[in-house]
Amino acid sequence: MADKPSDLVQGTLDMLILKTLALEPMHGYGIAVRLEQMSKGVFRLNAGSLFVAFQRLQRDGLIRSEWKATENSRRAKYYALTEQGRKRLNSETREWGRQVAAIARILEAS
Amino acid sequence: MSLLRGITGGLRSLFRKERVGRELDEELNSFLEMAAEEKVRQGMSRKDALRAVRLERGNLEVTKEVVRSAGWESFVETLWQDLRHGQRILRKSPGFAVVAVLTLALGIGATSAIFSVVNAVLLRPLAMEDPSHVVFVQETWRDIFPGVAVGNFVDLKRQSTSFAELCASNDASFNLEARELPERVDGEIATANYFTTFGVQPIAGRVFTADEDKPGQPHVVVISERLWRAKLHSDPSIVGQPIRINGLPTTVLGVMPRSFDPLLSSSDLWVPAAFSAGQLADHDNHYLNVMARLKPGTSQAQAQSELNVIAQWLQKQYPIDDQDRGFRLQPLATALLGDQRLGLRMMLAAVGFLLLIACANIANLQLARSRTRQKEIAMRAAVGASPNRIVRQLLAENVVLGLAGGVVGVLLAYWAVAWIIAHGPAEMPRLDQSRIDASTLAFAWAVALLSSLLFGLAPALRSASTHLSEVFKSSSGISGGSRDRVRSLLVVGEVSLALILMAGAGLLIRSALLVSHLDPGFDTSNVVVGRVGLPDPGYHDPALARQTFERMITATSALPGVKSVAVVSRAPLAGGGSSNGLLAEGKPFDMANLVNSQLQIISPSYLSTARVPLKAGRDFTPQDARDRTLVTIVNETLARTMWPGENPIGKRFACCEAGPKGRVDPVWHEVVGVVADVRAWGLDRQVQPEFYIPLAQMPASAWDWIGRTMDLVVRTRSGAVPIHELQNTVASVAAVPIYRLSTMQQKISSTLERSHFDTFLLAIFASTALLLSSVGIYGVLSYMVAQRTRDIGIRMALGASQAQIVWDVLGFGLRLAGIGLAVGLAAALAATRLLSSLLYGVRPTDAVTFAAVSFILLVVALIASYLPARRATRVDPLVALRYE
Repeated sequence: MADKPSDLVQGTLDMLILKTLALEPMHGYGIAVRLEQMSKGVFRLNAGSLFVAFQRLQRDGLIRSEWKATENSRRAKYYALTEQGRKRLNSETREWGRQVAAIARILEAS
Repeated sequence: MSLLRGITGGLRSLFRKERVGRELDEELNSFLEMAAEEKVRQGMSRKDALRAVRLERGNLEVTKEVVRSAGWESFVETLWQDLRHGQRILRKSPGFAVVAVLTLALGIGATSAIFSVVNAVLLRPLAMEDPSHVVFVQETWRDIFPGVAVGNFVDLKRQSTSFAELCASNDASFNLEARELPERVDGEIATANYFTTFGVQPIAGRVFTADEDKPGQPHVVVISERLWRAKLHSDPSIVGQPIRINGLPTTVLGVMPRSFDPLLSSSDLWVPAAFSAGQLADHDNHYLNVMARLKPGTSQAQAQSELNVIAQWLQKQYPIDDQDRGFRLQPLATALLGDQRLGLRMMLAAVGFLLLIACANIANLQLARSRTRQKEIAMRAAVGASPNRIVRQLLAENVVLGLAGGVVGVLLAYWAVAWIIAHGPAEMPRLDQSRIDASTLAFAWAVALLSSLLFGLAPALRSASTHLSEVFKSSSGISGGSRDRVRSLLVVGEVSLALILMAGAGLLIRSALLVSHLDPGFDTSNVVVGRVGLPDPGYHDPALARQTFERMITATSALPGVKSVAVVSRAPLAGGGSSNGLLAEGKPFDMANLVNSQLQIISPSYLSTARVPLKAGRDFTPQDARDRTLVTIVNETLARTMWPGENPIGKRFACCEAGPKGRVDPVWHEVVGVVADVRAWGLDRQVQPEFYIPLAQMPASAWDWIGRTMDLVVRTRSGAVPIHELQNTVASVAAVPIYRLSTMQQKISSTLERSHFDTFLLAIFASTALLLSSVGIYGVLSYMVAQRTRDIGIRMALGASQAQIVWDVLGFGLRLAGIGLAVGLAAALAATRLLSSLLYGVRPTDAVTFAAVSFILLVVALIASYLPARRATRVDPLVALRYE
């Protein structure tokens, strides 16, 4: 299981889900596919970690969910970003940028 | 906000489990379908696509479990499961469960009961506004802490700046005429700001003003709610009404709430102190209770240093009265309850030990069970339970035990608290307020949980860490051969804790035995004592007061069954008394030469009525009148202190009053007799120097010192006590009550009540501890014998004698007890030192006591070890070997 979520940097899965939802509301499978596409196959997500993350984000009030019909007229639970989620995404993106820059500086220095 | 959502989300999945589960199913299914569709579109068969998705995304059933267990609600759910499982397991071994729950209930019950007493007596704040700012002021002189002289109080009040309020009061009792017979009521004289110092308002009416707290004002009184209800029929219009106090109509100004008892003295009424000009200038009589409220921001240390400065000023100002005097400041709660701390802490420590022993016993039982349950647990581990989950499950089982023990323990505590209130020492303030309240329940709950962790953790960890292969490899009935070290350690711990308790109890018992054999110094059988106080307004004249008491003696002597009657200012064991500095003739007048001694004013018949043995000289006679030579009788301690090695008869000392030439003009009293020491302050108290002067020769002012109150001492022919006749006779001579009426023997036992109570409780705790630890020894040895049945069988088959087998088991038991004994002795030697102030005539390291308790412990350990040892000899080698 080389694609275990622990391969992601701790805590980044939440941020990536939020980023994915920033464009439009999406169902679970859509999120998984979008993440894989955007990462060009680097991340392959296990359903377990994905749905645990959904539950966590929803309880934290960062996303909300709604049952809707898909384009293939199948019922699916769609997740959407809340206002609070949008704020969190912004702040986390900024923080992430800062940290990556800092880590890069350290790695280059040595 | 998100916390709330987390909680509601969790609750939703807890209580609407099915619906939430269905939703999750549906969502995961649609996920699966969509992923599969994608694969089908790329050309896979539907079956292959589904398998590929499972491979890529993980098993959906597992996913469901993972999602479900990620929320907090799943923890609650498994906890609930574990608790139910624990309860089922326990129901399967009812014997163990009952023993464990009862043992635990004993520990938790005793701990909770003592805690509720400690909580009521020591921990609850005093019922007043901001009690932490209220302090108690005493004088210090040599090594005693007398009350404050009125003059010193006045100067303190004038000069100090640390206090928002500084007030004074003095205990007093009053004759109240509200019902058929006059009654005696305890109360206080108090300065006007007494009530504002404590910040408590009356529930009706008002308190007295500074103007009313002056001599010559109309008589007013503030009464307690208790008095109002019990003796004044809860009269709603009582405020403004007169009641008769000490024979005078006195207007009731207000009623204080039931909780108002700032000095824990159960006062029922307060009258203005109304100090006279003479009293305000008096620096010689030290008796006032002085209480103060610190100004906000002023620390106790700052106030104390200010008092030190004032004390120095007073020493210069009044060199005779205030020489060597200082002030001591204490938080009021410390001053009132400090005496209770040692005994109660000792009890709390004792029940804590008991609880620990109980826990050790249950841990031992659990360890034994965990051996026999190894296979069950290994099986669970084999089918996939994580060690974490197994520990949790075993702990949950113990929590079930702990909670059951807690519930039974609280029931026990209810009963124990009721018993303690009924039989506890009357002198312990606030004891009657002990109850099983919310804080006690919280305490019991915490103790139950904590102890279940305490006795559950070791066995649980042990079980969880067992390796599967070992369990299934080893066949039943053979121990690893190593004696179980943890269990042995637990037993050693139990034994040493038990020994500490036994040593403490043993010392208290020995001390109580010694005290009960002490000679009180007089004949206490067939003596009845009661106090009689004459009100100042009607009996101000000293001659009238004396004649009234003499008439009371004559009238009482005529009662049937009465042998002789006398009065004394303070009967033995009545508490209180007045201290006087005596100057032996021939010594220069100097504070250092004064011998502090207790004064007793007696009718000539007193020493013969009480049967205080005369050691030398003569008794008083009716001829010792005021116009003859002033005479005195001293006790042996005073004779020895004042004239060591000399015959005191005929010697003189100055005391009690000043001659016509002023304060340093001596008035001499001649010693005509020496009597035996009377243990007047309790059997277990040091005898003080004491002297007697006849009623007929007492100085007039002495009537004020003793508050015109004396003890009537009646010696009867047999045990029968004419209580009612006594009350009627006294009331017929002067319309006053006789109160605190009891036999001398009752008085003696009431002074010993406290120490007997402590002794009794500690003895109960110690014997319970001994019992529990012997059960512990028995348990470990029985288990050892059961585990080694095969070893024993082999040894017997090889020719070992029964004696050898017995000795082997006994030896192990005694070794455990011996180590526990040694550890316990060392700890007890250190711990019992704390008891020294509770002991009389026994040193805290008393060898006899320590030897006795060690002996008892070893005998009990021997018995506890013998039973399993005997069982070992019954092992049939054939059966044992066939055991496989």
